[in-house]
Amino acid sequence: MVNYGGDEVSALVVDIGSSSIRAGYAGDDTPKAIVPTSYGYVKETPSTTEDVTMSDTTEGEESKLASRPRVKLYIGQNGPSLWRENMEVNNPMQNGLIANFDPVNALVSHALKDVMRCDPSEHPILVTEPAWNTQENRERMAEIMFEEFQVPAFYIANTGVLNAFAAGKGSALVIDIGQSTASVTPVVDGFVLRKGLQYSSLPQFVMAHARHLLATPAARRQGISLVPQQLIASKEPVEAGQPPKFTLRQDRVDKTTVSWRKWAEEREVEEWMQSVAGVIDQGYNEQFAHQRGPKHYEFPTGYNYYFNGIERHVVGEQFFHHSRQLVETNPNIPKNLPALITQSLAACDPDLRQVLMGNVVLSGGGSQFPGLADRLNVELTRTFPHVKIHAPGNPIERRYGGWLGGSILASLGTFHQLWISKEEWQEHGRPIVNQRCK
Amino acid sequence: MAGASAADVRSILSLPNPSAAGPSQPRKPAAPTERARKPEGISRELYSLIGPSVPTLAAQLAKPRLKQKPNLGGGGRVKWEWREFKNGARGDGLELSHWVKAGSDPDAEYPFAKYNVQAPSYVYSQDEYTRLLEDSEWTKEETDYLFNLIREYDSRFYVVYDRYEFPNGTPRTLEDIKDRYFSVCRKLVRSRPWAGDEASKNQLLSSLTFDKERETTRKKYVASLENRTPEQIAEEDALFIELQRLEQTERRFKRDRDELLRTLLGIESGLPDVQVDEEGLAGMSHEPKKRKKGGNAVAEVETPVSASPSVISLGPAIPKKAQSAKSAAYDAQHCIVRTEVPATTSSSTKIAHQPVYLRSYKLPAPKMTAAPKIAQVLGELGISHTRLVMPTRDNCAQLESLLEAASALVETKKLVDKVDQDIRTLTARLSNRQSEDADGEGTGDAAPTPMDVDEANDPDADADAEGEVDGRAQSVVSTRSARSTRGRRSV
Repeated sequence: MVNYGGDEVSALVVDIGSSSIRAGYAGDDTPKAIVPTSYGYVKETPSTTEDVTMSDTTEGEESKLASRPRVKLYIGQNGPSLWRENMEVNNPMQNGLIANFDPVNALVSHALKDVMRCDPSEHPILVTEPAWNTQENRERMAEIMFEEFQVPAFYIANTGVLNAFAAGKGSALVIDIGQSTASVTPVVDGFVLRKGLQYSSLPQFVMAHARHLLATPAARRQGISLVPQQLIASKEPVEAGQPPKFTLRQDRVDKTTVSWRKWAEEREVEEWMQSVAGVIDQGYNEQFAHQRGPKHYEFPTGYNYYFNGIERHVVGEQFFHHSRQLVETNPNIPKNLPALITQSLAACDPDLRQVLMGNVVLSGGGSQFPGLADRLNVELTRTFPHVKIHAPGNPIERRYGGWLGGSILASLGTFHQLWISKEEWQEHGRPIVNQRCK
Repeated sequence: MAGASAADVRSILSLPNPSAAGPSQPRKPAAPTERARKPEGISRELYSLIGPSVPTLAAQLAKPRLKQKPNLGGGGRVKWEWREFKNGARGDGLELSHWVKAGSDPDAEYPFAKYNVQAPSYVYSQDEYTRLLEDSEWTKEETDYLFNLIREYDSRFYVVYDRYEFPNGTPRTLEDIKDRYFSVCRKLVRSRPWAGDEASKNQLLSSLTFDKERETTRKKYVASLENRTPEQIAEEDALFIELQRLEQTERRFKRDRDELLRTLLGIESGLPDVQVDEEGLAGMSHEPKKRKKGGNAVAEVETPVSASPSVISLGPAIPKKAQSAKSAAYDAQHCIVRTEVPATTSSSTKIAHQPVYLRSYKLPAPKMTAAPKIAQVLGELGISHTRLVMPTRDNCAQLESLLEAASALVETKKLVDKVDQDIRTLTARLSNRQSEDADGEGTGDAAPTPMDVDEANDPDADADAEGEVDGRAQSVVSTRSARSTRGRRSV
């Protein structure tokens, strides 16, 4: 037991990201519960009787939040993705940080109690945070865990460090591309070097770019309507590139909220990107891109088209290079990956740069763009002589690297002295979080 | 039990047992009696395949005797229980639970608590600070803050530097931090009474040394290395490879030379290995410039090498200078011959260099074309020139002159033969023409071709020149006379 350093105390690991919340037992290799972070809510009219809410709480995905305007939350797999009358969709995360703590309680409770069916008061819990988390946020998280969930022990660990641990490294340059934020975190001996931390909302920009690309008419195709399938009553098959023939569900369209529509359309764009878009691994070149050939994709409206190589790869190229025209028109364009990496390294000690470049860890769902890892390798070897990128081939490991690292950390025998116990929380209060979790 | 077999059905229906079973019916592998005879060591499946007909195989197929399986104690069931434990490394009374073997001691110390070791940290008192540690750059508060950080992050200076945020303090570099920390520690160690011996104290002190200037320049240098352009890096790489190649050649050359000197003269070359490397390194520093200027790297390369042939000549050359009558007598007595070493030419690359050799290795050899003839000549004299029994200096010289004479003889003989032949041809042609003129215009237009001449010559050659034929066949008699005259003249 002591030989490999593991000692499982059935701790829980909760990793809250922009796209999903991952929860599971420490020591497992995959999270047990993966819950979308976006949630739907309907403002309830005051006339709603108590009976209705009572029956709602017994249902799995729905729970009630006792905040000032009475709202009903729809969480989980059947949360925002089911169309509901006047349902708004929101996401508590902003740039990787929890901006709105109200629904977090319900989201975590859903993951732990409804999906994992465990009692959080029996398990120590390890929560992750991005490296740029504020002190207030982490204290608030500790408070929620101790006061609401009555956990016996709590710890908050950094996703950058955990990603490095998941790759089996103590020192690494962690490149984490999530749904909303791309970050470059230098980790040395299990500590984040805050001066070298760099992050930007690059994935959001890439998404916006893709959406713009789809919505604007191109030379041989019209602008594509991103109506989600929940709003389509019927459709007919059409030839590729022909205008779609479909009828809307008018009854639903009128009662659809703007936020739900936006969320649904973003999902369409995301799906298109995931199935069609890519990155040219040897640097962008229109001719190269064209040689990659077209790929067919059909939208919920029935509109289908062969997207050529240029359209497919110009999207992924936004991770690495922004055209001059784009930079001139958008003054607040987020930093691209090479810029993030260069700036991060420039802030690190010259002695460390070699170590970090030899231990680059690529993580996050956004890094699974086809060809992105190869391209990153090409870009980095151009400027640094000895680059080694660790990019797990297993998609689960890549997407949930932070959770996996937490799972490893919380099942180590030597880690158990670091937990903030309930006793300590009651004795020292909020400052203990910053003292213990460095 | 599971179902009636075909045999049961047959017995119920009182059908005869068919000798050949149907294709769908699995054949029973062997009758019980046969199975009983199944030899030891053959697996059941194999036996049912080959049957009892190949009994000799059994010996070969006997079970190999394997080592006995280790008893891992897995016999009995192990009971585990979910038990609470206290972690000695924790300050509070948090009790977590884990699975342990049921029989284990519940009060045993938590096995991971022993890994909770704190690095020794230095603490100073106010008195010590005022006496020893005052520094114009650092206040006591900031020093305290620094020591706290270092304790907190276990002397991970990169992290300490990253987290260093002293309010209203001057910005500190990593070197500032390290310098202050190590200098304070050094002072503390020096001033405090030391329990151990002097050596361990010095060792500790040397582990606490930190040269700020050196570290800063080193870091600047590392940073400048990173700022090189790809072209510069490529050039440096190329130069480095070139340097290595040169050093390798140099080393090999030196090794060969050493070996030769040792085996042949029994002396060391006296050149330390380092010298070669140093030369190579020194060459590197100014080589880039020279390469660009001159463009011929070869000339540069040779400078260290050109010194070496003189070293070789040192062996024989030095005694020659001091040659006296006495040594000459000694030489004569011991048959020592001193030769003049050919002056070192300017081009003394490895190829041009002539190493030391044994005299017998370099016996003169006749020219390739004339070799068989010379061998024949020498054979007639009863001399074997290929192996000289006593290759003394005089003998070698004699042999050489003999070979020279022989080859000259062969050459002359060849020339004589040729001239003779010409004369004969011409006389034959002349006589032909005279006879034609006498006959009148017989076959006037038919110009005599060499073939015609030969044919015409054949009869009279047989007739009147018996000796010529012998001459063409290199007769022993004819050569001997020529050799004796020539040979004497040349020697």
